[in-house]
Amino acid sequence: MPEKNEDIRIGVFLCHCGSNIAGYLNMEELAEFAEKLPHVAFVQRNLYTCSEGGINEIKKGIKEQNLNRVVVASCTPRTHEPLFRSSCGEAGLNPYLFEMVNIRDQCSWVHMKEQENGTNKAKDLIRMGVAKAALLEPQEAIMSEVEVRALVIGGGIAGMTAALALANRGFEVVLVEKEEALGGMLNRLNRLGPTMMPASDLTAEKVRAVTGHPKITVFTHARVSEAQGFIGKYKVDIETESGVKKVDIGVIIVATGARAFVPKGLYNYDGKRVVTQLEMETLLKDGLAPGINNVVMIQCVGSRNNERPYCSRICCQTAVKNAMLIREQNPAARVSILYRDMQMYGVENEEMFRDSKARGIRYMNYSPDRPPEVEPDKVRVYHALLGREMELPADLVVLSTPVVSQEDAEVISRLLRVPIDENGFFLEGHVKLKPLDFATDGVYLCGSARFPSNIREAVAQGLGAASRASIPLSKGSVVVEPIISVLANEDACRGCGLCVALCPYGALEIQRTEKGRKVHVIDVACKGCGVCAATCYQHALSINSFTDQQIRSQLEAYLG
Amino acid sequence: MSKDILVIGGGIAGMQSSLDLADMGIKVHLVEKLPSIGGKMAQLDKTFPTNDCAI
Amino acid sequence: MLDVGRHPNIELLAYSEVEKVEGEAGNFSVTVRRKARYVREDRCTGCGACAEKCPTLVPDAFNEGLRNRKAIYSLFAQGIPSTHTIDADHCRQMNGKKCGICAKTCQAEAIDFDQKDRILELNVAAIIIAAGYDVFDPSQIPEYRYQEIPNVVTAIEFERLLSASGPTGGHLDRPSDRAIEADIEEMEKSAGKSQKALVKFEEKYGESSAAFYEKYQSGAYPDDEDRKKWADKYADHLTVVEPLEALRKKAEGFDVARRLAFIQCVGSRDFRFYPFCSGYCCMHSIKEAIIAHEHGPDTTSTIFGMDIRAVGKGFEEYKIRGGNHSNITYVRGRVAEIVEGPDNNPVVIYEDTRERKVKRQEFDMVILATACAPSKGIAALVKTVGVELDPYNFLKTSPLSPVDTTTPGIFVCGCAESPMDVPESVAQASSAAERAAEIVFQTDLIKEKAVA
Repeated sequence: MPEKNEDIRIGVFLCHCGSNIAGYLNMEELAEFAEKLPHVAFVQRNLYTCSEGGINEIKKGIKEQNLNRVVVASCTPRTHEPLFRSSCGEAGLNPYLFEMVNIRDQCSWVHMKEQENGTNKAKDLIRMGVAKAALLEPQEAIMSEVEVRALVIGGGIAGMTAALALANRGFEVVLVEKEEALGGMLNRLNRLGPTMMPASDLTAEKVRAVTGHPKITVFTHARVSEAQGFIGKYKVDIETESGVKKVDIGVIIVATGARAFVPKGLYNYDGKRVVTQLEMETLLKDGLAPGINNVVMIQCVGSRNNERPYCSRICCQTAVKNAMLIREQNPAARVSILYRDMQMYGVENEEMFRDSKARGIRYMNYSPDRPPEVEPDKVRVYHALLGREMELPADLVVLSTPVVSQEDAEVISRLLRVPIDENGFFLEGHVKLKPLDFATDGVYLCGSARFPSNIREAVAQGLGAASRASIPLSKGSVVVEPIISVLANEDACRGCGLCVALCPYGALEIQRTEKGRKVHVIDVACKGCGVCAATCYQHALSINSFTDQQIRSQLEAYLG
Repeated sequence: MSKDILVIGGGIAGMQSSLDLADMGIKVHLVEKLPSIGGKMAQLDKTFPTNDCAI
Repeated sequence: MLDVGRHPNIELLAYSEVEKVEGEAGNFSVTVRRKARYVREDRCTGCGACAEKCPTLVPDAFNEGLRNRKAIYSLFAQGIPSTHTIDADHCRQMNGKKCGICAKTCQAEAIDFDQKDRILELNVAAIIIAAGYDVFDPSQIPEYRYQEIPNVVTAIEFERLLSASGPTGGHLDRPSDRAIEADIEEMEKSAGKSQKALVKFEEKYGESSAAFYEKYQSGAYPDDEDRKKWADKYADHLTVVEPLEALRKKAEGFDVARRLAFIQCVGSRDFRFYPFCSGYCCMHSIKEAIIAHEHGPDTTSTIFGMDIRAVGKGFEEYKIRGGNHSNITYVRGRVAEIVEGPDNNPVVIYEDTRERKVKRQEFDMVILATACAPSKGIAALVKTVGVELDPYNFLKTSPLSPVDTTTPGIFVCGCAESPMDVPESVAQASSAAERAAEIVFQTDLIKEKAVA
């Protein structure tokens, strides 16, 4: 804790962010302003404070100017606070004696055309940051052990790949599959594009490897019914046919897959003469019935519409694959694919697409405002490129329906406290940079549970999720940011439990103590969201680095 | 026998591989032919140097 | 990126190349050449004072040649490491001329003109190849007239024009206009010089050059040698000033580009070049069109493509949002030709396949969505490392082992494997890390056995 009379020396670093900030705000004026603020001992402007050069300047300031608080006015703490904090730490200053002020995202970027007002706003923000910095207190990071065992939910190709990868690294894995057999969607497929290898071969090989692996415990016909805890320390209940198994788990991989949309009421779907691509897989597996000489496939059935706006990624490749397999079984068959855009992205898909044209598959473009009409023995379509109505004889109509999220996605989402998106797919931590992580530490994601994936993608993501999950398993412990809730005033706590009910992370519990019922914070589970502190009418709970006193000082600074 | 890993290329893929491995406790040697890492993604606006650059 | 530079378990060997690989999974010997930067890494603070003073300008590859850098430079402002590098091909001192300004400027005494390449030997259990890709050079497509028509640019050049840290500070100034502005600047310099010479005469004779010249031309000073010089100088001056005025007038009408065309599949899905689909370009164009619209709300964009492939999470929604809110029109059709119209405006000739009509449309700027080309150096690299390529020169993998190359212990990720976007590259990078870590774990097992 800082001494009461400690001489507070704040260093303020103003980042130009190239022209992102300096192009719109008067940096010179900001520097002059900051110099006059209470406790400010040093002010410096940097082209990029986050560059190696900028970081060295912060370190130099701490050492040479004896700074004991650092304020960086730059971009967003979301991306750059960890860097600045640890840089302070490397220079010997407690990393939590650092405060960040965002004068870019919420200032220079939104006031590009009003330099004076923008600069004044930046002054307010800097003044508030400096006021808070003066009251900051040192904190220590929290460490917690990790149970070296992974839970993989879902025994399809993604889940089996992830389980095997982790087991091959020497980690224990518990694999839970709700169906009776491992394999997931693979069990319903005929052949796999682009190699046309039988799906059953792949399933057999993977199932043998998984069930034969000494590090993997498989529960089929089972489901996760409870998952309490946090990264490194999950208590998981698995409901199996032989009762509930309780396991201690360190990390969890969600590989629950997805389903094919059933197009009830669309295009006269009946499951016999008008089938889905998934049903087509079975027809091909069993051998195409004789007399199927004219096949029409319709793409985007139930997707890319108002109800389901997304493109389901893999239906075009499935259609092309099945079209070629139909021609393989019946070389006389005429197969037409009615499409909006052929989504044959990448190298292998485009290759298969070209190949299919060479093999006589016919493609016709339709427009969603004039969709095809399925009649008893034909399909009527307005060919958008020829500009005329066409009649295609059809013994079989195959509807390419989208991959949709699992029915129990929401249940799992609640159980593990991880989000799903508007289409029911699990929502990763960052769409670009953290595709296989959840925002919640210790839980990872792969395969069609995330978004429709083909086999190559599901395998790659299974391996990738295993890599991500193996990081805490390899370390054996996790270190958590200490910006969490603390029971700052134990006497004030009445043990009412209101905060416990509201905590979204299960990080609070009521304990009996000598002083009666009191709340207890499970520090590694706490994300520092502040719901509890805001709720507590006794002001017993407080968030480190966001104390009432600190926030009040910011408000007072703003009001001047 | 070695436990180190060589990564060739310091773009987004090479950087992510390196970080995963390094976080597992494995020593990584990252070779990049240009003077700085970052690759093509560093040339992109709005992914860099904005929010998305923190990799 | 910064995390990579700071991670205690990562040895960052930038400005280096792999020269030799021997051995097998679990035990590879690797020779790495650390190219001389002529700047000492241990001393350079990346402050950039040297680059500020360096007198030599070199086209800046990071900004696609759209602006210049110095002969001593850092790749880009936030580059890791921030150590500067001397470009030995262009540095005056390194080419026998007298200079050394950078060495005099550098307070850290980091400049070392005598630095030599260093050879580093590594022993590794596994190798990950993440060598990336090259942007397809569209000048190979004659009908698109890239580099003939200044306002036809590639997607990555356009990216630099959109960027706040790019050559135009994020303003969509057209390359043709920028070229004229550069000409004006040059002409102003030379006009300034000739003006100085005229001032001397004007002071000497006490009248303006224009007034004198009129009299001179009507034969007022037949045998005056000095005045003849004046007249000649004035005539020269006029040859600069008159076109300068004309250009200035023209430049007054310059405006940022507002009518944009994006052309898809430039080099991709094209049998002359790459038959594959590059995967990310449709979304890249949509993103650029949306950002251009953010820069100027009256910007309109037309995206010409065969299929708009928006197959990732949230992509189709993004595409539709672009159409509804960012003035993007999607036209189904492959562009046949680009010609130059009035005011340096590119004119796009295409068949609108839905209307079955050949059309011409004029734009302020055309952006070519270039293919993801296999990297030029990849053939040499795979020969060194000892793995196979597929027919397109991407690293050969199989759908069930998506990151395993043809050699055990060597893995691949990102666009060196095949074209893919950022999230896929990130996911695949983790996959490759996993496979490589498995080799390390097996190495551990072997060691344990050996000890037992």
